[in-house]
Amino acid sequence: MSGLSTGIGCRDLRVHAGGRELLSVPELHVAAGRTLAVLGPNGAGKSTLLRALGLLTSHRVSGQILLDGRPATRSLMREAIAAVLQRPILRRGTVAANVISGLRFRGMSRREARIRAWPWIESLGLAPLADRDVGTLSIGEAQRVSITRALAVGPRVLLLDEPFSGLDSTTRADLLADLRAALTGQPTATILVTHDRQEALALAEDTALLIDGRIRQHGPTTEVLDRPSDADTARLLGYTNLLPAALTGRTHTLAARPEHTQLVLDPSEDPADQTDAVRVVTGTLRRTVALGIATRVDVDTSTGRLTCLHPGDVLATELPPIGSNVRVRIRHARSLVIAD
Amino acid sequence: MDVLFDGLIDAIGLLLSGDQDSWSIIMLTLRVSLSATAIALLIGLPLGAALALARFPGRRIVLAAANTGMGLPPVVVGLFVTVLLWRSGPLGGLELLYTPTAMVIAQAAIATPIVVALVAAALQQVDPDFRVQMQALGATSIRAFAALLGEARLPLLAGAMAAFGAVVSEVGAAQMVGGNLAGQTRVLTTAAVLATSRGQFSLAIAFGIILLLIAFGVNLSLTLTQQRRTVPR
Repeated sequence: MSGLSTGIGCRDLRVHAGGRELLSVPELHVAAGRTLAVLGPNGAGKSTLLRALGLLTSHRVSGQILLDGRPATRSLMREAIAAVLQRPILRRGTVAANVISGLRFRGMSRREARIRAWPWIESLGLAPLADRDVGTLSIGEAQRVSITRALAVGPRVLLLDEPFSGLDSTTRADLLADLRAALTGQPTATILVTHDRQEALALAEDTALLIDGRIRQHGPTTEVLDRPSDADTARLLGYTNLLPAALTGRTHTLAARPEHTQLVLDPSEDPADQTDAVRVVTGTLRRTVALGIATRVDVDTSTGRLTCLHPGDVLATELPPIGSNVRVRIRHARSLVIAD
Repeated sequence: MDVLFDGLIDAIGLLLSGDQDSWSIIMLTLRVSLSATAIALLIGLPLGAALALARFPGRRIVLAAANTGMGLPPVVVGLFVTVLLWRSGPLGGLELLYTPTAMVIAQAAIATPIVVALVAAALQQVDPDFRVQMQALGATSIRAFAALLGEARLPLLAGAMAAFGAVVSEVGAAQMVGGNLAGQTRVLTTAAVLATSRGQFSLAIAFGIILLLIAFGVNLSLTLTQQRRTVPR
């Protein structure tokens, strides 16, 4: 009965602009009360997907958008959605006036809207700012207003278009936690578009990887983030070291995170000490960069460059000279299903 | 300085005396210029909005034409409207030449490009995703557009003020298509020109001061509207 389930979804969704296909999604569904993260690099079509689902795009769209299992119309969608865009777009006026503006669009009186919105203003920590003019807010505060405004309408569908991308790390962490708390227990189907894995982990039970307008992987967030299927998704998920079969002697390309890739610094270590998960490859030391919390070491191998990340500051005396032959140990790698 | 001072005294005298001729000139000036501004807003607002929000081939050329039109010489407009309304001209049958209606037409033609260009500029200042964000909060496309106008209210009203200022102060078109007929098509600017040519400097200055007071009064009311809060508490 998935066709009648609550939430938002699409079937055979295609978006065209200027004679080019921007997006093609055969099927996608987010149930009420769940959050889907759409993770992808810049230009992958994430915002296009979000706007197409919310019937907010000016591009040519074909296929079906489903709201609670039925084809969505503009007026049905208008009642159901609220969106937070990348830049907080507020109207001139006070914080409180902005927070209630979604409810006002839905025909509610100012007084009623204020009563409805006030618990959200308080729980998102905006009460001290309620009468402030939005022109005096910081970007983080403005985005907080934008998020509160969306939550205040009690949307059945919440669309979040990279809402944290312009914020400093402290503001982002606070807002992320507050949003997570606010969404818990709400019957809202939420779609978060992001390029940040941490945001997907923090907010979404499910994640879809979108690359070049197509969903490459889709499933529970923890599984998707740790199981790249091809070179593109490996890069997106931080498995930036690709080890072709020729280098490892395996049947498939392996992918590893830099933090799982390290130089063998002790020459007496036995390179033959390899389990299935651990691989050692040889290469030439190209450069080392001290990053404060870690030291990055780039090594050229016969099939490309590997990036090693050693925790902490590694003393220059511990590292072999640039240009010398080194061994690199990969502690943990994923086998890519699709060879590249 | 005596002439200026006398002019000031005359202006106050004219305003207080309730002199029939002067009051009819003042009322006609207001009627013609406000009507012309209103027509320019009715035509210019949708055109300017279309130029700001829609994407179509030749959009930039139309925008450049509107920007050029902001500097349209009133004499040139007056000439074209005169030719159009001339007895043997294409619209001669309407017999509008040397009537207040002809003056409204000419002044509306002067004000419309100003409104178009300034509305387009005003709406383009607002975030391009503004309407999408409003619709994504439950606004219909009409409500979203109204919210956009509210958001751009400051520069939009500045556009209206610029349009009114341009027409209330112009003399070339009013003279050419109105003819400066006493009691019929005489407005403050044409009256001031006539008084000056007759050497009645203090009367001319009086008309000038009244013109400034009218412009100030209209702009004051627009400014007070402009500076109100967009989203009330």
